[in-house]
Amino acid sequence: MRFLIAVAALLALLPFGLPPYAMTLLTEALILGLFAMSLDLMVGYARLISFGHAAAYGFGAYASGNFLLHTSMPLPCAVLLAGLLGGLVAIGVGWVCTQATGVSFSMLTLAYAQLLYAVAFKWTPVTGASDGLAGIPRNPGPFGVTWWSTKAGFYYLTLACLLGTFVFCRELVRSPFGAVLRGIRENEAKTIALGYNTRRYKIAIVAISFGFAGLAGALYAPFAGFANTELLFWLLSGQVLIMVIVGGAGTLIGPVLGAVFFLYMQQQLSSYTDSWALFFGVIFVLFVLFMPEGIWGLILSRFGKKAA
Amino acid sequence: MALLELDDLTKRYGGIVAVDHVTMRIDAGEVRAVIGPNGAGKTSLFHLITGVVKATEGSVRFADQDVSALPAHVRCQRGMSRTFQLTSLFPEMSARDNTRLAAQAREGKRWLPLGGSGVFHGAAQRGDAALERLGLTHVADRPAGLLSHGDQRLLEVAMALAQQPRLLLLDEPTQGLSVEETAQAVEVLASLFASAGLTVLLVEHDMEVVFRLAHKITVLHRGSVIADGDPETVKADESVQNAYLGGFA
Repeated sequence: MRFLIAVAALLALLPFGLPPYAMTLLTEALILGLFAMSLDLMVGYARLISFGHAAAYGFGAYASGNFLLHTSMPLPCAVLLAGLLGGLVAIGVGWVCTQATGVSFSMLTLAYAQLLYAVAFKWTPVTGASDGLAGIPRNPGPFGVTWWSTKAGFYYLTLACLLGTFVFCRELVRSPFGAVLRGIRENEAKTIALGYNTRRYKIAIVAISFGFAGLAGALYAPFAGFANTELLFWLLSGQVLIMVIVGGAGTLIGPVLGAVFFLYMQQQLSSYTDSWALFFGVIFVLFVLFMPEGIWGLILSRFGKKAA
Repeated sequence: MALLELDDLTKRYGGIVAVDHVTMRIDAGEVRAVIGPNGAGKTSLFHLITGVVKATEGSVRFADQDVSALPAHVRCQRGMSRTFQLTSLFPEMSARDNTRLAAQAREGKRWLPLGGSGVFHGAAQRGDAALERLGLTHVADRPAGLLSHGDQRLLEVAMALAQQPRLLLLDEPTQGLSVEETAQAVEVLASLFASAGLTVLLVEHDMEVVFRLAHKITVLHRGSVIADGDPETVKADESVQNAYLGGFA
């Protein structure tokens, strides 16, 4: 807990020292970190590999984009509502995808994401088709409250969402519900034999995970000012999975570090070469081979702290 | 009073009859063994009782209610706890967490998404008590996957016991154990059965284990019951001798 407060305080002080461009990058890193953390709930704790997590992210982005463009809903409300909506829709998605297990489950999540991707190209009034939604505003609140429309203000909003999600997820994985998820991860047949309806737990975690991914996407739309079909594309689903694995699955904090690392490497590598993804691919392979515990696992083993 | 009643229970896989019109009744407090040669249908019978597979015909009544249509996890919620023929644990969790997760399944809190001290208290206590009764307290903090095979078998029984079941179903509890380990495990189980007033259904093909533990024995052969009764009667039964025991008695 003390560690968490220290990190939160440090992150809260950063806007006073960093140049604007770095603030933009950091905000994007936190949004991606939130996205990766949401996926970690499924991958790291229940071993449900989602190949379609971009579906939730893109859904959240389009939802908040529409709320902000077509209503006068204040920005934080639009963001939270979009995340909530993403979670509710994901109950149905989870119900369908958990009909299958293992690789088939992953393929169904991928199919769902590609379905949304295809829909986004056709449903012009809502998604703007291939142009996407542009000029998404950061709507003010009542009584002229607008602190979130500045660069630093938006950063704080993102930080608050990330920390809130982290506290919620940490409670979740330490709870009786979380213990059942770990049971499913290690031995689902036994978990059923003990009397747990594992399917319902899986649907619940898919909904929660997609909900938080939707929250991340809902932040991204007003952050970037646009939402387009790339946010639904399988490439992003793959990238976020890489962030989780490189950061350290099943740790919640690790995937956030993985997202920061990914974005940083992308910035650095792409200034040298257009084929930066090739080099990052090598890094990813090295991680899987030599550091399967990820960045956070390495930090923990260095400093001998107990996993959070 | 009958706790478990099987009536004409049958399972066919295509042309193969795995379980053939089995009728059986187990009273509360009884320790019953089901024996039979390999392929006699013992494990299939277990799967039918616990709901892992659905019967082709016949019914399962548990505590005076027909549970034939209920899925496995619901039958478990009603009070059937089982172990598997091949050890089935959560290998990366400690032995203590294994029993705790088992005990938690019978609590209303099993859906609670909030952590914090106290929420696991009741389940942890029942889990620890079960570990103690099977003599596993000294390995409670070790990952289950690193325990000796003998301790793993007993841990599975402890997990079932932590659920405070009305009917305990053990599928070959000494499967794969050495002679010494088997002897130890049998002693632990015998004292457990003697003290706890449990109702137990046991599948086993080690005869010494069966005669040491069971009050009553049901003999399966090619899916159907060929003998039923106390150990002495079964030992003396001629059809059993022919089908299976092969001069053991």
